[in-house]
Amino acid sequence: MEISVIASSSIDGGIGSWDLKTGTEQLRFKQCASPSHGLTAVGDKFLAASQLRNASASSGSIFFWSWNKPQVEVRSFPAESVNALAANREGTYIVGGGASGDIFLWEVASGRLLKKWHGHYRSVTCLVFSGDDSLLVSGSADGSVRVWSLLRLFDDLQRQQQGSTLYEHDFNEHTTSVTDIVIDYGGCNAFIVSASEDGTCKVWSLSKGRLLRNIIFPAAINALALDPGGSFFYAGSTDSKIYVGALNSSSDYATQSLGSVSEQGKAVTCLAYCADGNLLISGSEDGVICFWDPKSRRLVRTFSHGKGPKGPVNNIQVVRRMVVGNSNKAQSSWKRNVSSLPPPLEKYERTGDDTMDGIVIVDPPPLSDVPVYSSYHSADLINEQVRELQQQGSAATEIEMERLKLEYKKSLQMNDQWQKNYENLLQVVMEEELNGSSN
Amino acid sequence: MASFERFDDMCDPRMKPKILRNLLSEHVPNEKQPLVDFQSLSKVVSTISTHKLLSEPPSSSPDHKKLQAKPSKSAVDDWVERLLALVSSDMADKCWVGVVLIGVTCQECSSDRFFSLYSVWFNSLLSLIKNPASSRIVRVASCTSISDLLTRLSRFTNTKKEAVSHASKVVLPIIKLLEEESSEALCESIAHLLSTIVTLFPAAFHSSYDKVEAVIASKIFSAKTSSNMLKRFAHFLALLPKANKGDAGSWSLMMQKLLISINVHLNNFFQGLEDETIGKKAIQRLVPPGKDSPLPLGGQDGALDDASWNSEQLIVSRVSTLMFCSSTMLTSSYKSKLNIPVASLLSLVERVLVVNGSLPRAMSPFMTGIQQELVCAELPTLHSSALELLRATIKCIRSQVLPYAASVVRLVSSYFWKCSLPELRIKLYSIIKTLLKSMGVGMAMQLANEVVSNASVDLEGFDAVSSKTPSLTNNAVLKSCGKKRKHSANSGAEAENSAVEVGVPHNHSLKIAALEALETLLNTAGALGLDSWRERVDNLLMTTATNACEGRWANAETYHHLPNKSSTDLVEFQLAALRAFLASLVSPSRVRPAFLAEGHELFQRGKLQAEMKVAEFCAHALMSLEVVIHPRALPLDGLPSLSSQFPQSNSLASQKHNTLGLNKSDRSAVDGSVLSNLWLADVDVPANSEVQRSVDTTLPLREAKRLKVGNDLVGSENVQQADDVLMKVPESAVESLTHVLDRDDDMVSEEGYREVVSETQEGEGLAAKDSLMEEVAAVGKKQESLGESDDDSVPSLKADDYLSSDSDIES
Repeated sequence: MEISVIASSSIDGGIGSWDLKTGTEQLRFKQCASPSHGLTAVGDKFLAASQLRNASASSGSIFFWSWNKPQVEVRSFPAESVNALAANREGTYIVGGGASGDIFLWEVASGRLLKKWHGHYRSVTCLVFSGDDSLLVSGSADGSVRVWSLLRLFDDLQRQQQGSTLYEHDFNEHTTSVTDIVIDYGGCNAFIVSASEDGTCKVWSLSKGRLLRNIIFPAAINALALDPGGSFFYAGSTDSKIYVGALNSSSDYATQSLGSVSEQGKAVTCLAYCADGNLLISGSEDGVICFWDPKSRRLVRTFSHGKGPKGPVNNIQVVRRMVVGNSNKAQSSWKRNVSSLPPPLEKYERTGDDTMDGIVIVDPPPLSDVPVYSSYHSADLINEQVRELQQQGSAATEIEMERLKLEYKKSLQMNDQWQKNYENLLQVVMEEELNGSSN
Repeated sequence: MASFERFDDMCDPRMKPKILRNLLSEHVPNEKQPLVDFQSLSKVVSTISTHKLLSEPPSSSPDHKKLQAKPSKSAVDDWVERLLALVSSDMADKCWVGVVLIGVTCQECSSDRFFSLYSVWFNSLLSLIKNPASSRIVRVASCTSISDLLTRLSRFTNTKKEAVSHASKVVLPIIKLLEEESSEALCESIAHLLSTIVTLFPAAFHSSYDKVEAVIASKIFSAKTSSNMLKRFAHFLALLPKANKGDAGSWSLMMQKLLISINVHLNNFFQGLEDETIGKKAIQRLVPPGKDSPLPLGGQDGALDDASWNSEQLIVSRVSTLMFCSSTMLTSSYKSKLNIPVASLLSLVERVLVVNGSLPRAMSPFMTGIQQELVCAELPTLHSSALELLRATIKCIRSQVLPYAASVVRLVSSYFWKCSLPELRIKLYSIIKTLLKSMGVGMAMQLANEVVSNASVDLEGFDAVSSKTPSLTNNAVLKSCGKKRKHSANSGAEAENSAVEVGVPHNHSLKIAALEALETLLNTAGALGLDSWRERVDNLLMTTATNACEGRWANAETYHHLPNKSSTDLVEFQLAALRAFLASLVSPSRVRPAFLAEGHELFQRGKLQAEMKVAEFCAHALMSLEVVIHPRALPLDGLPSLSSQFPQSNSLASQKHNTLGLNKSDRSAVDGSVLSNLWLADVDVPANSEVQRSVDTTLPLREAKRLKVGNDLVGSENVQQADDVLMKVPESAVESLTHVLDRDDDMVSEEGYREVVSETQEGEGLAAKDSLMEEVAAVGKKQESLGESDDDSVPSLKADDYLSSDSDIES
């Protein structure tokens, strides 16, 4: 397992990746110009990113890269341009938010479009899975944040009976486009924090389904990252500062900042918190990626994303990926199998009988190529057999003995009987003979 | 001469050969000396493994004592020679001793010796298996010894090819043996050997795959051995696809064969009990029209056409064995992607669970009472296997059950109401647990009500009187739902006048399962039920836990004279009850958990119990509750310093590290006291999660603020002010408590806190201020010595920012 930081830009600068520990640049994945929130790692299997295309294009596009090749390996063209892209932690489903407000749910292994539903009135800007991957939180350009239960989306029957809405919660308090959403570690009692261009961040309770706090910032907020302690969050704003917001402070205004990413007032465009080493990573409009030590609130390292024209970095992710070792040959054929990517995502939902072919493709569990061991058995067998041999004088044999005795007795009786019969017969015959001879 | 030699201690390596020779001469038979005492053989084995008598120092290493090494070698040589002589003996008992000891030697001897001798051993063992004259006990032992030999061989990486060829030599003889023999012990050791080969050397089955499948299938179909044995065969059959190239195709083929076979059997079994089209549809789904159906399980002569169709028992035995086999296939790990036929599996489970033995009206004339009786007698076994299959399916595909989850939920919840047999309900609870774990909150939303109402029916039995055993009609459920509290209040009075068996440890497994399901529900979605089921569950779990631990606590050791597991069962029950109770206390809630006091008392008492498992858990529970009553503020101070991680970090950052490190060490002492003072204030606050969070979150910010102020060397008044805010919280904590208690709403409670803060500004905390001043001074000096290293590009906030935020609070 190897941890690295990946970042992409809205102009075609590819996806850069850096080793977290050493800071050296690794493979650069080519041909990627993705919108904000359009880059995601699918489990630890591969990378996926939605692509920005010119408005005239009739369909959107989503590209896949495997970890060890710079070229795009799989290209899919969904029905419309997809902005936000997210995958669940297992990497079995990908959701995409379309420009029309539709949300798409694909099964990764088969590429099937399992569900498509109208989520928002305007374009979907960000999608986040809940901690256990059972809920989906979506934010939209119309300012609304909605919570969806994936399970209920598939439960057509219940919905028809109860006539309930598709979503679980609908939060409408933001006045302008929602730019980022994070959800904390609280499980079913989690807090959802949403950021918006209206310069506020709002804290929602997942269990109660309502607004808990409203925090006002000096500028529009582009990106959010949560502190793992759960009490505050970092908000990257358009005035190039990273503010610290407390989920439950007494003040409605957040003025503290961690620092600013550039002197020219270039906006912070994305944030990520890296648990390994407790780092905050920020990306800015001028293409600079900064590592912050949140404790000392200082900059510890900077990278530049693009080499040529400095496009804004708009996605940063900390990803874990499997180290493809060069172990022995027997496994390499299998490895080749695994690294091959799934088929492209389908454009339309299947209809009719074809909807479900009833097959689910399951990936082998990670690290299933460890050598197998079996245990020794001889010593146990000896004890078992010795016990068996010693028991020969006991129950089973005793019963057998009794049975044999009984049988013996019976046969003796039978023998007597036959003998008697024989004697009787003999007597009769003798008598007959005697009678005959006397006649 | 040797007897005069003295040894260092019991670990002296010179002693090993002597002990080995001793064993050899006294306990191991030879050609002349017959075997007298079987018991001594166990002693031999245990002595060998304790003293590692067969281990030898590697021959290549220049061993320290050449002289000692030599006799030791020859002792092992003697041992090996004796074993080979015994194996070739005509006497069955001597031969047997030789065979089993070879098995032990394979495990214990040094790698050099094993490597030089294993093929000799292998051949003599194989000839014993092949020889029709050898007795059964020898064959059983030979199979096990070969299995151990192969196990050892698999750990040598350089002999893979040879190992496979050895393993493949043994497959056909044992399969032949399996066909002829039906003795339980032999079957078992053959199954063990087969499983070993298929896991270690799957390639060994390459040429004999179909034959092996056919023989095992016919064994399963004949159902002449015990059910335990059938399971072993099924387990092996489930592993067998690994042998056939180990790809997804062979797995799918096997699964398809199994499902077809199960469905064909069910078509017959359910005749008259279900619509005939169901069976047809099931087969159609498995073999889509236009595609060739695979050969039936076990090859062409699959035993589907024998005359025993009418034996219900036989059919059910076959079906449950086949279902067990498919469950094992689903849960055992494979190295390639698998295509799981989820729809077929789920519809098969549904097909079985729908049949409950009642006759559809249209069908009744076609079925006699006796037939129905026979079917009903076997149905529970069938249902149990089907539930197991369902659980395995969910476990296998985890989150990918999503598109099917709604139908699974419907199936499970509708079956819950019909099912009254404890054994099946236990299985259902475990399915629910699996569902909740793999699907999380979304699943909990769907299942919560089912779990709660069913679990309360099952748990009610404990505090209810015996005359009121839970009947599972809808009526009883409703009653228990509605009158829960009244009911438990009455139970004491009712207990007086009806016969109650007190303290009889009866079977708790159903209750344990119900408790575990409730615990899982609370773990995944405790906060979701706050408006609906939560209060009822908390109540129920408190009652169950206190009742379970009432009077004497279970102690497994005091029940020694009871051979059965009833006492450990009671311990398990108590543990499950305590576990679930803890979950209900810790799971998020808006107000203070209603039974917090009871919980503390119960766990305190439990910690003193003699039964270690219970005591251990109670200690753990107290630790978890500590977090509930002293909620943590998690400041950033605990984080490791980053300077080690980025030693040569570029640009401006490196200069800053010096100041950073100093700040940290100076700060830590002061912070400790400040923190603990604040925590003192927190203790009295009711366990309202929002309030806690509001109190907590201000802490790190304030800390940071103070720090920043210190660093920037703003006037000492500011420091003092920040200082006061920090120090005076304890005195006003009582007031804050009243504020918070009055109003439950979280936003309001924050105002309560704000009030606290403003009040604290008036006081003064002298002691801490002094130390803080010192710290500031120290930092200041340091900064001076470093000069004005504050680079402009390093962002730093002006003190004004903090002041303004402070004034916000004051206003």
